[in-house]
This record gives sequence, C-alpha cells and structure tokens, in this order.
Amino acid sequence: MLKFNKVTKIYGKKKVLDELTFSIGENKITGLIGRNGAGKTTMLQIAAGFIRESSGEVRVFGESPFNNLSVSANMVMVDNDMNLPASLSLDELLDSAASFYPNWDMKLARNLMSYFRLDLKQHHTGLSKGMKNTFHAILGLASRCPLTIFDEPTNGMDAGVRKDFYRALLKDYLANPRTIIISSHHLNEVEDLLEDILVLKDGRQLLHMTVEDMREYAVIVSGRDDMLNDWLSGHELFHRNSTDFGKSYALIRNNLSEGQITSAMNKGLKFSTISNEDLCLYLTSQEKGGIDDVFTKN
Amino acid sequence: MSLPKTSLWDIVKKQFRFKLKSYRGMFTSLMMLQIIGILFSLGGEGGGGGGSDSFSYEMKYYSGSFILAFLMIWAFLSAIIVTTQAYRFDDYAFVANRMSSNLANILFLGWASIIGGVTFLLASQSLKLSVLILQEQDYIVSQRLSMLQMAEGLVGIILYLFLFTALGYLVGMLVQRNKIFIILLPALLFGSLFISVFFANESTLLIDVGRIFVKETSFLLFLLKVLFASTVAFGSAIFLSDNLEVRK
Repeated sequence: MLKFNKVTKIYGKKKVLDELTFSIGENKITGLIGRNGAGKTTMLQIAAGFIRESSGEVRVFGESPFNNLSVSANMVMVDNDMNLPASLSLDELLDSAASFYPNWDMKLARNLMSYFRLDLKQHHTGLSKGMKNTFHAILGLASRCPLTIFDEPTNGMDAGVRKDFYRALLKDYLANPRTIIISSHHLNEVEDLLEDILVLKDGRQLLHMTVEDMREYAVIVSGRDDMLNDWLSGHELFHRNSTDFGKSYALIRNNLSEGQITSAMNKGLKFSTISNEDLCLYLTSQEKGGIDDVFTKN
Repeated sequence: MSLPKTSLWDIVKKQFRFKLKSYRGMFTSLMMLQIIGILFSLGGEGGGGGGSDSFSYEMKYYSGSFILAFLMIWAFLSAIIVTTQAYRFDDYAFVANRMSSNLANILFLGWASIIGGVTFLLASQSLKLSVLILQEQDYIVSQRLSMLQMAEGLVGIILYLFLFTALGYLVGMLVQRNKIFIILLPALLFGSLFISVFFANESTLLIDVGRIFVKETSFLLFLLKVLFASTVAFGSAIFLSDNLEVRK
C-alpha cells in the first residue's frame, strides 16, 4: 500500500530523511511518532506526492506518488496549513471537495459541521486555529480516501474536540476501513485507535510494530546504584538515570529469561512497566541524560 | 492494490469549475476597472471646434480605448496572480497534479478572456449611453457595425485578452521559477526601450512586436498568430512549472 525503500530527502545540507525504509499495509491505522524535526511531515509530504524524494523509491498504491494524478485522487492529506481559497465559504468548500472525491460523504460532513458548531457560511480565513483544524479534519474524514493522512490533526483543538474527533475517526474507520496514517506528539491520545506504531528518529525508522508488541518491548529496572550496575551488563540499555539517595533506574529491552528475572529480584531490583508514550520519549530523546543534564552542566 | 486510472480531462473539468467559483474576485476587479475605464473615457479623447460670428461648434471624439487598455492590463495581471504560490497551492487542496492545474488555469484564463471581451462590448455601449445622457450635445455620430464586424471585433478582443493572459502566465511562471525575473523582466523591457531610443532615436522593438498582431489585416491570420503565440507562451510556462514543487 505504502512503501518507502531507502528514501532520503535532503534540504540544503540537512538530511531530513536518511534511507528510510518501511511499508504500511492496507486498511490499517498507523501512528507516526517522533520528535520535532524527526522527519514526520517530510515523510508524509513525500507519501502524499507533494514533494519529491532526493533518492530512494516511494510507492503508493504501487505507483510513484509525486505529481501523480491517480494517487492524488485516492489520497487526502490533512495538515495544519492546508491551502484553501479565501473566497469560498465553508459550505462551498465542502461542495468542491464533494465534486473531487468520489467517496465523499456529504451527510457525515454536514453532521460533523453542525456537531462541532462550524458555521457553513463562514470563511476559512475567519476561523480560529482550532476551528480551522477541526474543519480540515472533517474534510479528511468525509472524503473517505483509500489513503488518508492526518499530520498532527488536533493542533489547537481543545480537549473535548480532540476526543470527539478521534472517536469519529474510529467509528468511521470501522464502518469504512481504509489506510490511515496519523502523526501526533501525543501517543497516549491516539494509542487506543492505532494498530501499528512507526517511530522515527533523525529521519530513520526506529521502531515499527503493533501497539501490543510495543507494550512488551521494554521494561524499567530500578534499585540501588551498585546492584543495578552489576546486573545491567549484557542487556540492551535504552536509558539510564540516577535519582538521589543512591537509587537509580534503567530502561532496557524486555527480552529477559526467567533466570535473569529471579537473579535480579534476589539483588533487590524491581521491575515496572512503561507506557508507550514514555517509551517513545526515552527512545527518541537526543541527549542521554535528558533535560536535567542541561542544568547540571552549568 | 492497483488504482482505477484517473482521467486527466475529468479532473481538469472539475478544477475549472472549482476555479470559476474560487477566482470570482477577478470578475469583481474587472467590473471596477470597466467603471473606471468608462469614467476616464467620458472626458473624450480628442476633438476640435470652430465657429464664426453667428455660430460655433465643438466636437469630441469618444472611444473605448481606455476600457480596452484597462482590460488588457487586467488580463495580464490576473494571469500573473494565478501563478503565485498561494493560488497554485489552492489547487492541491483537492485532487490535482501539475498538468491538470496548468490546463485548468488555461481554461479559466480563456473563459476570463471571453467574459472580458463580452463585457467590453457592453461597457462600450454604456459609454455611448453615458455620453448621450450626461453630455450636452446635439449630434452623436457613431460607427455602425454590421453583425459580422461586431462578431469579428468581439473575437478579436477576446483573442487579444487571451494573448495577454498567456503573456502574464509566462511572466508569472518565470518569476515563480526564479525571483530574479522580478528585476530582470522590467529591466529588459525598459532597457530595450532606452537602448533603441539611444541608437535609433526611436523605440522600435516593442512596436515591431506589436505590429505583428496589430497590422494584420486578415482575420484568419490574426487568429492563427494569436493562437500560435499563446500556445508558445503557455507551453513554455507549463515546461517551467515542471521544476516547481507541487506543494509545501
């Protein structure tokens, strides 16, 4: 459905995407997670055919998406700065969208418009940031394209609208399955509706797995400094932090055997789970020590 | 999964209809320009007078040239506006690729030229009426045109406007391709004027280019010339746009 093969995108001297390789199957909801500047938006824009990859191969519906009319007709990308003509009212914009997208569901669009209290006679430029993104999200939902991309769709929306939007997305997806990619900073908000998670870091794929697998992926070990240090060797360490009073904790890959766990318990180490959101934060953090280090260096 | 093929022409038609709605501001500015054009023309463009002890006469000459000049500038500028980033990106809000976007733009500019031409005829009629009502005069002599002449005039004006939109579109795309053309093009235009004045005491280059069209007496040849020139201009613009990003 969507395939990236060693895709690199270079802006000036900066490599935004660095030999990114992954593929996304049909009719799945995939969450795209990454820090600012990890290359999420660039990747989505390449997938949508808006910009061209510097090297590598991109396939959407088996075709190269750049400047491709068939891909454009079967794809909708919703982002914060969608360009919509200022001269048209929201109502006219819905009508225009309906003329372009064969699967457009006008009833859904109008119902969502009235639910979110968007005035059909208003113009796009007159909307607040949250309202604008709500309107974009409605466009994205109602167009029912086989490939639907949301790039941080909930920016500026208030908590209630976010919740409603995700619920609407899930309901509509269940009724009309299609391939959906959502990029977001807030994994715990979208986690419930995702099937797969794709984590980017520095333009590369860090993880790509199902939400369930990710919950089992890592574990936190905590205990006294010296005990922990001894035990940690030989484990895949993602993050390490010392707290006060000689205690510290570490985030490691969860591939432990029974024996390893009992030996750790005997040394007084404790295991705890980590939420996917926190896991992503640790995995994608740039500095080993985190924000605290910035202050201790001074 | 393979896609159902999307027909280019189908999308172009949809985009054209979309543009008719979203670019309607252009026709408001067209109306304003024509009103201003009529007001300017009311002063008359020339005339004379004379008399003796017992009588005197005055005559004034009115024409729609002002309106037409405004229309040509309007056509040129509208085409440039269509090529700007904001307008180009509007296309990609829905389904589009570069070719469909360019073709829909050309269709729209053709349509705008037709509207411009028809409203010019109406505006020049309103000029006659305004003169009749507003000015104190005893005789109005106006050129009577046969239906054929009228039709030829209309098509001629539409073709001129279309030519100007083609020029504007090319200029706009050049500027989008590289901002240096904002300086370069006016510099070339005025530079050529100054240089030809400097060397030959009379500016000829622009006039010569204009003569190709203006001096053409055969309507058919004129039609072919305009269509050829517009095709070249639009074609180069499409070629130029090929290196522009689709959308940011």
